[in-house]
Amino acid sequence: MTGALLVAGLGAIALGGALGVWRRAFSAGLHVQAAGAAAVAVAGFWALGSQSVIGDAFASSFGPRFGVDGLSGLFLGVLGLIAAPALVFSARYLRPSASGRAVGALTAVFVLALALVLCARDPLMFLAGWETMTLVPAVVILVSRGADRRARQTVFNYLAVTHLGGAGTWVAILLLAHADAIGGQTTIASGSGLQTAIALSALVGMGTKAGVMPLHVWLPRAHPSAPAPVSALMSGVMIKVALYGLVRVLLEWDGVLPVWFGVLVLGAGALSAVGGVVYALFEHDLKRLLAFHSIENIGIIVLGIGASLVLRARGADAWAAFALAAALLHTVNHAVFKSLLFLGAGVFERAVGSLEIDRLGGLLRRMPWSGGAFLVGAMAIAGLPPLNGFASEWLTLQALLHVSQYGEVGDGVAGAVALAALAATAALALFCFVKVVGLVLLGPPRTPAVAAAEEPPFPLRGALVFLALVCVTLGLAPGILFGALVGLAPSSTAAATRLGLHVPGTGSLPTVGIALVLVGGALALALLRGGRRAATAPTWACGQLVEPALRWTSAGFTKSLRLALEVVLRPQREISSRTEAGVLQEVAYSGHVPHLIDERVYEPVERAAFRAARHARRLQTGDVGTYVAYLIGLVIVLLAAVRLGMIG
Amino acid sequence: MSAASAASTAAEIVGGIALAPLLPGLVQHWKARLQGRRGPTPLQPYRELRRLWGKSMVDPDGAGPVYRLVPPIVAAALVGGVLVVPVAETAPNLGLGHDALVLLGVLALARFALAAGSWDVSNGFALMGVSRDLMLSVFVEATFVLSLADASLIAGTTDLRGVVAGTAGIDSWGGPALALGAIAFAFVAIAETGRQPVDNPDTHLELTMIHEGPLLEYAGRDLAYLQWAAAARHWLVLVLLAQVFLPHPHSVWLQLAVLPVALVALCAALAIVETLLAKMRVLLVPRLVVVGMAAALLGIAAWLAGAA
Repeated sequence: MTGALLVAGLGAIALGGALGVWRRAFSAGLHVQAAGAAAVAVAGFWALGSQSVIGDAFASSFGPRFGVDGLSGLFLGVLGLIAAPALVFSARYLRPSASGRAVGALTAVFVLALALVLCARDPLMFLAGWETMTLVPAVVILVSRGADRRARQTVFNYLAVTHLGGAGTWVAILLLAHADAIGGQTTIASGSGLQTAIALSALVGMGTKAGVMPLHVWLPRAHPSAPAPVSALMSGVMIKVALYGLVRVLLEWDGVLPVWFGVLVLGAGALSAVGGVVYALFEHDLKRLLAFHSIENIGIIVLGIGASLVLRARGADAWAAFALAAALLHTVNHAVFKSLLFLGAGVFERAVGSLEIDRLGGLLRRMPWSGGAFLVGAMAIAGLPPLNGFASEWLTLQALLHVSQYGEVGDGVAGAVALAALAATAALALFCFVKVVGLVLLGPPRTPAVAAAEEPPFPLRGALVFLALVCVTLGLAPGILFGALVGLAPSSTAAATRLGLHVPGTGSLPTVGIALVLVGGALALALLRGGRRAATAPTWACGQLVEPALRWTSAGFTKSLRLALEVVLRPQREISSRTEAGVLQEVAYSGHVPHLIDERVYEPVERAAFRAARHARRLQTGDVGTYVAYLIGLVIVLLAAVRLGMIG
Repeated sequence: MSAASAASTAAEIVGGIALAPLLPGLVQHWKARLQGRRGPTPLQPYRELRRLWGKSMVDPDGAGPVYRLVPPIVAAALVGGVLVVPVAETAPNLGLGHDALVLLGVLALARFALAAGSWDVSNGFALMGVSRDLMLSVFVEATFVLSLADASLIAGTTDLRGVVAGTAGIDSWGGPALALGAIAFAFVAIAETGRQPVDNPDTHLELTMIHEGPLLEYAGRDLAYLQWAAAARHWLVLVLLAQVFLPHPHSVWLQLAVLPVALVALCAALAIVETLLAKMRVLLVPRLVVVGMAAALLGIAAWLAGAA
């Protein structure tokens, strides 16, 4: 039944994609796709809940095999849960021009490629889906931007980095297939060289695709360039599917990894989390800021995976299961609120025309539904109770604490450092999203275009409000997913299903009680405050009139952090002033925070690659005689090798 | 519900809600005496709250529903915090549980709400204070989590009732772990209560305000809620400091008896620290807090080395 529903859903997506190519049936095609995605979501969560295996099991042979189990079901559920509102959103957001119809059809291909990776049960189908999943967004970016120079550079960077890093995925999967370990038929010896090689190449390959620092450079360029619904799918689902691959390899197929590797994963997670949010704080474009926050949240999920690895290596299987559940719960939560934020950014861009956060403002009053939903998403990503971000961050903090509890001195201190990093990340994310909410939604409108912004049509608003309601529901009742998630770990006991998060042996998170106290308390105190006897007064600015020139900007608000972290960030600024006859006429200020990994690591590598390519170009003379000489030379070398016994 | 449990519930609710303003009052009273003035009585904050309750509120230009909702939300978040921090180890579950990490969440909610209110009104001084407060909170939250983790590892649970029980008596003070955690939490206490050397609570110069900044645009009952919330922050950190990081007895009745004495002693200590130390430059405060973070990490390492 679940399998039939899944196949029906995927078929509807394919049908909708094909339908959308005709101008008349464009909107209908996207709605059919949305219905198919909803069916996929239902099938996926059903498979998660029943924890049964449908279809084929994993095999190391190369014939096409497909199946769904609990973990695949979870990610399929997330795919459908995000794709359905994103597709309803695109039905009104995309125009039925040629590029719009192409993007609509490509979205169907994208969703099908993601489903292929999740349902693949043999290495060939997995890698085929992986490659397609990488290539389709590149095509979407080119099509939607009209292949201008900027788009071509972005796509080149994206494909180059994901393929260079992604070679690791191929190496890991093929090594596992060679050792017949896919699906766990053969257990790889713990501590062997093969295990380390597979684990490291998987971390590099799948980590690049997920956006783990320092392999993240493509993410802030590619995610903002795509149209909003495709950005939502990329940030919400594609990078999670990369982590699905990482969970499969590291936690199911590669045996029990040693403690040092878990600590390495913890380090990568902490670096991504803190680095992602620090760079997000200094961004001025809303979509680029959201892309850096995706890196941060991927870091939090990787912290959960690292905690699970260390705890399993130390033999604490129950807590290894809880740590994996924390990582998977944060996967679901981040998918929901990140796609909400990206779709909201799309709405604002459509209404105002620009996403420069210093030029927005007051959008909560102009667009109450979209602005309110965006506010819920911002509070969720900042990790505030009673929403879903707080629940999964709480669980990840608990998991990291138990890494210290069960570990020796080395990994215990590593767990404590990771705990501090996660707490700092939460505070930094709050800083960043207070700034975003303040500049975008609150305060006076800063340009006439913003003052004239209108609420978007119902399908766009509806998708945003639906995702905001999912955030609130998951915040009130994370326990409904928690029980099933704990059961997904390789060796775990089933947990009773309750609404809040209750783990044995430590404090618990009664989410409903917290929500009641906070919301009920706020209402009660507001009523206690009584009728509002209030006098109007101008905002206090030491007696001056509040002019537009006195308003705060993003750079000013984050200056204290920029100065506090000066040693690490090395911000650069340039101030020039023009005076005439001793009277100051004009001051120009420009400042920016350079991305150190881009400048110190990637740009030298890029320059070296181009230099090597220039040298290699000398081999291509264009003269047929030279090429014949190369072939004859190659044949002579091969004959010599055979004669000396090196080949054959 | 046993008698001890009822007593500790009553102490938690009455103490947190009604007696919280007494703590900053005591600090101000002793600070004045140390500075050679007669100063206000410890009950002065109650007179302030009564005065503010009778006055009318303010609607600044351009303020919307967010500005009006902020004081009830901040006060509700701090009420949640008061319900989370138990007094003595047998407090029953009042709906929020007693998990240490939940306390971080409600304090973060209060900070977010105040900052959102400042943005709604676009008060420059409020935003300056909010910017510095949020920058400091990055370091203070990490130290807060690490010191609570230190205590939780010693006690074996993050439930604060278990932490109070697990760190009671003399056994936990055998190694340096809990003492290092206490040093770290002392820095957190000074930062969270907004006392010198981190912030000057008596300042009237807007450019020097950190925690006071967002309160500039509020008046009347709104300001009463926000001042009560500042007093509740004193209650939360000082009760945690007294119940977890200072030596405390095993028995519940003895804990309830020792707590008021410990709170008064901590208020005196705060007054002495504020009088002896001048306010630090705000960009140098992270270095001070990082010293606390290092102390907490050393404490965790010491516990691991001892337990391993």
